[in-house]
Amino acid sequence: MTLPYPLRLLCLCLATFFLVHLVLGLGTWLLSPAAVRMARRLRPGTAARLLLSLRLFPLAGSVFLVAGLCVPSYLWLEPRASAEEVGFTCLAAALMAGAIWAISIARALGAATRSLRYIRRSQRLGRAVQLPGELSPVWVMEGAPVSLVLAGILRPRVFISRAVVDALSAEQLAAALRHERAHRISRDNLKRLLLLLAPDLFPFSRRFATIERAWARFAEWAADDGAVAGDSLRSLSLAAALVRVARLGPAPQPSPLVACLVDAGADLSARVERLLRCVPPGEESARTLPVMAAGGMVAVAASAVAVMMHPVTLHTAHRLFEQLMH
Amino acid sequence: MRFLKSRIADSSRALLGPLEITVMELLWEHGESSVHDVVPKLARPLAYTTVMTTLDRLYKKGLLDRRKSERAFVYAPRLSRREWEHKRTGDFVAGFLAAPQTSGEMLVSCLVEAVGQQDEALLDELEKKIRMKRKELCRRGKP
Repeated sequence: MTLPYPLRLLCLCLATFFLVHLVLGLGTWLLSPAAVRMARRLRPGTAARLLLSLRLFPLAGSVFLVAGLCVPSYLWLEPRASAEEVGFTCLAAALMAGAIWAISIARALGAATRSLRYIRRSQRLGRAVQLPGELSPVWVMEGAPVSLVLAGILRPRVFISRAVVDALSAEQLAAALRHERAHRISRDNLKRLLLLLAPDLFPFSRRFATIERAWARFAEWAADDGAVAGDSLRSLSLAAALVRVARLGPAPQPSPLVACLVDAGADLSARVERLLRCVPPGEESARTLPVMAAGGMVAVAASAVAVMMHPVTLHTAHRLFEQLMH
Repeated sequence: MRFLKSRIADSSRALLGPLEITVMELLWEHGESSVHDVVPKLARPLAYTTVMTTLDRLYKKGLLDRRKSERAFVYAPRLSRREWEHKRTGDFVAGFLAAPQTSGEMLVSCLVEAVGQQDEALLDELEKKIRMKRKELCRRGKP
């Protein structure tokens, strides 16, 4: 198929994205069981960050390569005047990239819409109440199904049904709200959106489900740890709150972008057992690990950019991309 | 619901009686055995002929294989315990689903209730553990 200059760029970018994403994604998928095993030995917060980084790595790596190598080499070295033939492989890869992006964007938009709808409905049903010890108001909903959730991506708010407020003691309610605050501080709903936006290897495949499930579990555990802050009594209060809310009945998750205190089908038993062991607060030294990892990643990215901007690299890359295109 | 539960119990009872179940348990545990081997292992004393009849009945129901050793039969389970449980459950569910529509619905409803009861039991267990931990902390907190 003969395409003009801008469409060829789009086609090349999508095809490159698909192929690089496929290679990085396969590597990530093969590494995921080992990564989950390794995560079990880390503190939940660190484990969640590790798994999130691993899940987003194929997407980030592919975008980085396309933006840093494919686009500059094409703009600099491809002659603008002519219309050129684009090969079947390139077109097929570009279509696959379009399909995986369309699916993930539709999935994320669907979840965001459901989340917004839930927030609007909950705000109609409830009213904002300033609970003791809480910095921001909590929406208490009258006559709503059993729920205690954190909804919203940029400005997450806590929504709680009257049944839950009535069922929990003051300490249990405070512990449950601290749990949701921990989710808000770590921006877990935004991370959920990123996970939904990150495409899978192929349309309609779910190769990263193991990592995503493990991330969700560690994010819950991290929020539990954040809520109790190593205090045994708070641990017991949160454990009791979890059991009490679970007893009120199953609470279906209104959207994948909503964090529920007790998720239907989640590992309630494991969470309660952890809280009863009164997990001590993480040592300060453990915080240096993510800082070091982030520093290392920035250094690697900066070196890669320096190499990618070199004329020899761009010429070599352009030759490779020409082969892919034709 | 009560009808369904009694039907579950009835069907398993119709398939195997208490003594038959006991004998099957012994054979699964000890493997190939003759009537002579089974009689002393039973918790209550039973006549040799009673045990012989029971083993023969199990053989006729297709649950045991037997071979002649000297002048007596030696019996061995044809299915493992797991295979038998699987077959029994499968037969029971198939029987229900083949019956009028209401039976199938009742079966699903009973299963949901059973799962709910299990959840309740788990929550009770967790609550008990929380209470014990609280007591332990209170004890430790006292001078």
